[in-house]
Amino acid sequence: MPVIKSIIRLNDLDTNFVDEVIETGSEVFGEEIPKTIMACMQCGRCSGSCPSGRRTAFRTRKIYREVVLGFREKVLSSDELWYCTTCYTCQERCPRGVKTTEIIRILRNIAAKEGYMSKSHKMAAGHVFRTGHAVAINEEIQNVREELGLSRLPPTTHSHPEALAKLQDILRKTHFDELVGFDWETMELKEV
Amino acid sequence: MNIGVYVCHCGTNIAGVIDVEKVTEYATTLDGVVVARNYKYMCSDPGKDLIRSDIKENNLDRVVVAACSPTMHEKTYRDVMEEMGGNPFLFEMANIREQDSWVHTDKDMATEKAYDLVRMAVAKVRRNEPLERIEIPVTQRALIIGGGVAGMEASLDLAEQGYEVIMVEKEQSIGGHMSQLTKTFPTLDCPMCILAPKMALHEHKNITIYSFSEIEEVSGYVGNFEVSIRKKAKSVIEDLCNGCGLCQEKCPTKVLSVYDGKLGTRKAIYTLFPQAVPRIPVLDRENCLMFTKGTCGVCKKVCPTDAIDYDQQDEIITEKVGAIIVATGYAEYDPTPIEEYGYGRYKNVLTGLQFERLTNASGPTLGVLKRPSDGATPKRFAFIQCVGSRDVNTQEYCSKVCCMYTVKNARLLRDEHPESEVYIFYTDVRSAGKGYEEFYKISQEKGVKFIRGRVSEVVGLPDDNLLLRTEDTLTGDVYEVEVDMAILACALLPAEGSDKLRDILKISEGTDGFFMEAHPKLRPVDTLTDGIYLAGCAQGPRDIADTVVHAKGAASGASVLISHTKMSLDPISAYSDESVCRGCGECKLVCQFGAIEIEPLNGRLIAKVNEVLCKGCGACVGACCNGAMSIRHFKDEQINSMIEAAMEVA
Repeated sequence: MPVIKSIIRLNDLDTNFVDEVIETGSEVFGEEIPKTIMACMQCGRCSGSCPSGRRTAFRTRKIYREVVLGFREKVLSSDELWYCTTCYTCQERCPRGVKTTEIIRILRNIAAKEGYMSKSHKMAAGHVFRTGHAVAINEEIQNVREELGLSRLPPTTHSHPEALAKLQDILRKTHFDELVGFDWETMELKEV
Repeated sequence: MNIGVYVCHCGTNIAGVIDVEKVTEYATTLDGVVVARNYKYMCSDPGKDLIRSDIKENNLDRVVVAACSPTMHEKTYRDVMEEMGGNPFLFEMANIREQDSWVHTDKDMATEKAYDLVRMAVAKVRRNEPLERIEIPVTQRALIIGGGVAGMEASLDLAEQGYEVIMVEKEQSIGGHMSQLTKTFPTLDCPMCILAPKMALHEHKNITIYSFSEIEEVSGYVGNFEVSIRKKAKSVIEDLCNGCGLCQEKCPTKVLSVYDGKLGTRKAIYTLFPQAVPRIPVLDRENCLMFTKGTCGVCKKVCPTDAIDYDQQDEIITEKVGAIIVATGYAEYDPTPIEEYGYGRYKNVLTGLQFERLTNASGPTLGVLKRPSDGATPKRFAFIQCVGSRDVNTQEYCSKVCCMYTVKNARLLRDEHPESEVYIFYTDVRSAGKGYEEFYKISQEKGVKFIRGRVSEVVGLPDDNLLLRTEDTLTGDVYEVEVDMAILACALLPAEGSDKLRDILKISEGTDGFFMEAHPKLRPVDTLTDGIYLAGCAQGPRDIADTVVHAKGAASGASVLISHTKMSLDPISAYSDESVCRGCGECKLVCQFGAIEIEPLNGRLIAKVNEVLCKGCGACVGACCNGAMSIRHFKDEQINSMIEAAMEVA
């Protein structure tokens, strides 16, 4: 069976999407940083530099193009959006000064609000709800700390349960729990 | 006093924003204005005819044109005044384009601003005084700075017209970067062969070459420059040396050759290349044993004409010229700071110019392809484009020549080594030029593989091979490619020493660092300093064909100037009121152009302005403590009248 692919009518795309991205990004970064997406010349230096793209279908370059053209749903619902490790190699190398990594972060913020947060990110968020850390301490690290003459637990939420309570309060008040789908009863994600 | 006011539409440039009818109507209400008109293009013949006929019919003695910037058309209208028997300085321009319609969108407010600008210009023209132009002599000789293909072309054009030409070249031979190249696109002819007839200019009776020399100082002004040239000591007496080459053959000291991209060596006494012009070697005192250890003297012993002089000193030579052409060329970008490409860390990563030397028949390997790390014959090549160009982290501009020279080198590899694998990693292929696109197509047909992606990184492998990582943006795949050699198409930068020369010549440079032309489209070879012209890459990256065109333009510009024995200058200069001046010298201190001297007059001191050197900048007027200094055409009362007019309400 031949694969049938229909022609995309550019006019039917959401041409305001790039403005939405710039506007949303401006709330956190100011206008200058998200606006740099307009200057992307599709050279591919970002994707070639990407340690994640080397193993996955994540193509940073392609995401910027799709944003500028208006492929809103496609970009926000894509799994690839969550493959970026925010290593910033691409941002450092971009010859047009596009703040590539920041733009990925902005897109994730929009995607999260639309309910597209990736499962692995939700799971990492679950650790934050429970321990105050995305990567909580384990037995092995505690042993290393002891060998180095440090306390077994670092002076963070790990040794300050009252700070953890405050953090959890913030997570509730900012409705992060709803965004992630965190169940305070079971202290687990509602559906995994 | 009969003033005419002419409002230009400039197509829709002005009329699209400003209500020109209203401005015309308003102008008739101003004191002294007898007629006001508007027209689509005031600078065209029908537009100028309106002014001409009003000067005749309405006996106009003063004119205001409300249009573009005076830099654009002041001369046009001054010429009309002069031609009609009036004084060209009883004229003013109100700039309602650059200062109004181009920068505002609110039509009502822009029109009101035009009222203000016209009212100010009318107030000024009422106070203008008739002035006479200054006549100065012109020295009918030219100085060419730089002996590359641009400088050679400009020199020959002027010398063939009968003018004496002084050429100053900082290297020991003329020829420039072009003499380093292997073959040139799109004809693939040999650069040395097509340069040879031009390098023969050293035999031209009208051309004097100072090689291994630099510009020390330039004084004077358009038509009358005085240039000090430092002729650096070559340690070789030029009149005695017969260019036999015995000294460099016998010299025991080997030094890495910068000319060969440090891929080969030269001696401590050396010519740049065997066909050097002049064919006189230079002794490199930093490496010569006589200077470092105080012993050797081999060159002096073997020289059959006794031309070696270890005690030779630099010489300062003074030349008088009417025009100067700056043809200082370019420098290749050193890609070391782009660490992910590994230049300087991996031996088989080369720059474009290094590759030219490596494949050149008179290069360090005599044209035999060998890679620097182990001398093995490379078979897989990667050309990486836009290194230091089109990159906000280095140079933002496109260096213009790299696409074509890379395509040329890639095609030569496929021609001469058909078994080789040749990749070009590009962002865009820019092949605009006669025969260039065709040349690009042929290179594809010959098997050069073009991959659209800016290379992300080059990784050195243990066997000195290189692994490239890049995205092929046309398929979306990420590739790894192993090659034996990578060639970086490095950006073209302004030549070394450009900043120093800029200060000596008092010319400006753009944000890219290259010397700036007076107008990007209409005055591409002129600088803003009268009498100084630009040729070739000194103004911006360009290939040989464009360089020759530009150099011929510069020669033409210079000959328009030096073909006259006299020229006239605008009389807009400072002058001091001798009855008020007390000779304190503050004005002399602030004058950048050396135009003011303090001289005795009847037992006291006064400031005297050289009207030709004065640029009319006004710094002296500000510095003068008792109002003795004024500038013609911009006197205090003239400026004040404009300020008063600006404060009035229309």
